[in-house]
Amino acid sequence: MKKTFLYLSFSLLLAFPIIQSCTEPYDIELDNSYARLIVYGEITTDTTAHVIRLTRSADYYYNLPAEGVSGAIVRINDGIREIALSESETEPGSYQTGADYYGVPGRSYSLTIDNVDINRDGAIEAYSASSELPFMAAPDSIRLNYARYPFFQGSEILLFAKDPAETEDFYAFKVVKNGIQQTDSLPEIIVQNDQLFNGNYTNGVSVQFLDDDKPGEKVSPGDTIVFEMFGITSEYYNFIVQAQTALFGSNPLFSGPPANVTTNLSNGALGFFAGVNVRRVGAVAP
Amino acid sequence: MRLISIVFLLFLVVSSEGKSVYNDEPQKSFSVSGYVKDAATGEVLIAASVYIKELGSGTVTNPYGFYSIGLNKGSYTIGVSYIGYNTFEQILDLNSDLILNIELKPEARQLEEVVISSVKKNNNVSSLETGTSQLQIESIRRIPAFMGEVDVIKAIQLLPGVAVTSEGSSGFSVRGGASDQNLILLDEATVYNASHLIGFFSVFNNDAIKDAKLYKGDIPASAGGRLSSLLEVRMKDGNSKNFSATGGIGTISSRLTLEGPIINEKTSFLISGRRMYADIFLPLAKNKDLKNNKLHFYDLNAKVNHIINDNNRIFISGYAGRDVFKNEFAGMDYGNNTITLRWNHLFSKRLFSNFSFIRANYDYELGTQAERPDGFEWKSNLEDHSVKADFTYYLSPGNIIKFGAATTYHHFLPGSARGTGSESLFSEFILPDNFALEHGIYAMSENKIGKNLSIKYGLRTSIFQNVGKATVYNFDEAYNSIDSTVYESMDFYNSFSGLEPRLGITYMLGEFTSIKASYARTRQYIQLAQNSTAGTPLDIWFSASKNIKPQVSDQASLGLFRNFADNSIETSIEGYYKKMTNTIDFKDHAALLLNPKLEGETRIGESWSGGIEFLVTLNLNKLNGWVGYTLSRTERTIAEINDGKPYAAPYDKPHNISVVLNYPITKKLHAGANWVYSTGNPVTFPTGRYEILGAVLPIYSKRNAYRMPDYHRLDLSLTYSKMPKPGKKWQSEWNFSLYNAYGRHNAWAINFVQDENDPNITKAELTYLFSYIPSITYNFKF
Repeated sequence: MKKTFLYLSFSLLLAFPIIQSCTEPYDIELDNSYARLIVYGEITTDTTAHVIRLTRSADYYYNLPAEGVSGAIVRINDGIREIALSESETEPGSYQTGADYYGVPGRSYSLTIDNVDINRDGAIEAYSASSELPFMAAPDSIRLNYARYPFFQGSEILLFAKDPAETEDFYAFKVVKNGIQQTDSLPEIIVQNDQLFNGNYTNGVSVQFLDDDKPGEKVSPGDTIVFEMFGITSEYYNFIVQAQTALFGSNPLFSGPPANVTTNLSNGALGFFAGVNVRRVGAVAP
Repeated sequence: MRLISIVFLLFLVVSSEGKSVYNDEPQKSFSVSGYVKDAATGEVLIAASVYIKELGSGTVTNPYGFYSIGLNKGSYTIGVSYIGYNTFEQILDLNSDLILNIELKPEARQLEEVVISSVKKNNNVSSLETGTSQLQIESIRRIPAFMGEVDVIKAIQLLPGVAVTSEGSSGFSVRGGASDQNLILLDEATVYNASHLIGFFSVFNNDAIKDAKLYKGDIPASAGGRLSSLLEVRMKDGNSKNFSATGGIGTISSRLTLEGPIINEKTSFLISGRRMYADIFLPLAKNKDLKNNKLHFYDLNAKVNHIINDNNRIFISGYAGRDVFKNEFAGMDYGNNTITLRWNHLFSKRLFSNFSFIRANYDYELGTQAERPDGFEWKSNLEDHSVKADFTYYLSPGNIIKFGAATTYHHFLPGSARGTGSESLFSEFILPDNFALEHGIYAMSENKIGKNLSIKYGLRTSIFQNVGKATVYNFDEAYNSIDSTVYESMDFYNSFSGLEPRLGITYMLGEFTSIKASYARTRQYIQLAQNSTAGTPLDIWFSASKNIKPQVSDQASLGLFRNFADNSIETSIEGYYKKMTNTIDFKDHAALLLNPKLEGETRIGESWSGGIEFLVTLNLNKLNGWVGYTLSRTERTIAEINDGKPYAAPYDKPHNISVVLNYPITKKLHAGANWVYSTGNPVTFPTGRYEILGAVLPIYSKRNAYRMPDYHRLDLSLTYSKMPKPGKKWQSEWNFSLYNAYGRHNAWAINFVQDENDPNITKAELTYLFSYIPSITYNFKF
């Protein structure tokens, strides 16, 4: 909410015709950086093949898709049993669990990665991360509401759910339209903590948005909308907020000094390994 | 308080004993005292030079226009001079105390030749001040201004040693300090946020202001509470001779000031208003949703002063200003309010005193307009109440003792948010109030020793007390909060105190040259939780506490001052070095708003700043203005930031040039130009990248390892003045100004983005705010 309103007041200012800013390309040489292991993956409560993606970081002007890291030994331990993930044959660097794997709320998941030589010095490195898979109460229902804002218009997803009073909760929100995920890119995920509404009923607060002007998002009568609510840890919440801040860009008014997005990986790797509780609730567009 | 009295007494004894060395003649001493005023308006003149020709020394008028000189019986020539006014001279036969109120006539505008007088105009050379700049409003008016809005702060930003925090901002950094290290006073009341419209304009309406003075380090012992600078802005008292009106109609705002006598010349008033009306353009916007938006700010200044008798005067002045942004979904407004009550009292013709009661307030609120589940309002407030007593004892020409005390009660409401309407999902979330007391007592003495040496020494003691009721979080070494302590109401649970010595020496090398040195220690107990370079109106002030030690600065400076061509060209070179401890920065990804554990987000270290400032001020036959160049560095070292290695402070701009010139083309037509150049701000850029869910995330360089592109800009203005017709009072002028005349795209921000067509390609993108901006303003006076 805080951020929403900072941006809102900022957009009010930009509405001021004279203080309209403009952008242009800028040439700047940047130093090189050393390669780091990048890890990203979620263990969710869905029963599916869960994917852990290992890639290599590059210099900023690399301008090619991230290079997958092959040949690693990737294991996940949920405190009860340990499983080994197998590397995808079609997508090097992607390591999968079996299709029957699912996460259990309350368990702690540990990821270990071995047999990797990111800096290519001939010595093998090992990395690890761990995350709780949080509990989360299921949402009651959603409703769609058509809304117009000064610079955009579309369908708001209104949420009816109860936030538990006894816990500090962190959420992520996504939306699926007619079976197609609309909000799976990092900037489109909406995250929220319950600092300002702990223990309250949400009363139909707007939690996601399908923008009429974005391809495929415009909602027509009869469309099936599935709202996905994720229970996440505070660390994963911070990771997403910081990553979104980096993507949003900085300006002298609101931005502090840029800093690397935090990670829960050890040994200098970046990225995140998260346990995520997923609940879904659907509606048909009127 | 007993301790305070003892310290005072000690000081005075020491000071007066010092005096006896050169006051040992048994002759009876008398005083000449009075006020120096503008003959046309009755406005008192601040820092007018009052000079005894035979002694080769004198004094300057104080902020209330008062002067007093102690003299032995005899015959003297007294001279009074002030830039822009005809010089006054009179022969006195002194055999008793004498009250001499002097009215100076403004130099007629048509007279462009330099008035040569016997009164010295080398005040910049001979005064005991280093690193100070006094700006008269008349000279500021000729500087080309953004949107034609003449602005004290924008003029201050053109002085050497002062850097702008970011394009269009009202924030400024003095000698490498942060923008919250400047104490900005309007008629003695602290202005906590001096900016309108996120900085494009300052809160100071030029028509209501008489004078502004910036102290860049040699802060007098009478002031304290900020590390880097003191900016004293004083409002006009109001014309005590005639009713008059001043106003202007500009591209973006309009102003009207009314002033005049209420009872003879004893009571006068001033009321001044300004309103900016950006929202009148909104109906022209293409997007119809914008048409009902509100976007404006206003300022209201009012002042009444009354002369009770020769020994007593009272002043009441106030300021209220507010910015309002609103659309149908959300709104935000913020502003300052100040009120100052002052009583000038002469205990004797030599002991001038002023007692002040001051209230200063800054608050903001934002929230949603409509009744919605996410309806909320968020407020924050900061309020000060202060009492002050200041005394000046005029011993003899060049020898002055000042002493006084001040106490401020700070009340912080860092933030409260709550849901609005029955539907709202939000609970009430309140950060507890904070209370603190800040005291200062000081004594200082200015002495002239022999013909060439003057010294100024002073000592300020500052005391800061946190007062309950309060909840204070305790943090472990990793800055995690472990528990909290609750203090009851009126529990003085934490305090700091410290001495702040100030010293200044001026040694004259002939009439036109001097060397000056100064040293000042300053302490700062409250600061802004601001992480960005320009900041927003939402940034809150927080105080020293159990977890936050006061910031301390020690600054030494050395300057060479020399005037040429009968003081019409003033030059100076000043070098300074400043060491600051308990410097506050914030951890990566710090959360500074609505955070009860804000103190855990701070990271403490030290910083230094050093530089050389060159200044040439021209007051020639026709050409006026100045050229300044500053070469400086400022670095911070904080254990948890940048791996503990030194990094450039956010306002470190090694090279900074400003050229401000104005020239009368004809009697009616004035041209003005200013050009600024500075090294780009230090900035952190990515050197590496990685991919998460298709988004390219940056891996950053060391803190502030890169620079923004250099900033430079030329502004031009042309003022066409209509002379008043004989017998008519109406005067008017048209001002045309062009901001950023060669349309440079100065970088406001540089961001790194993914290419829209090929997301694998990343590139840098420069955001600039303005190309050139023309504006027209019509000003009138009658």
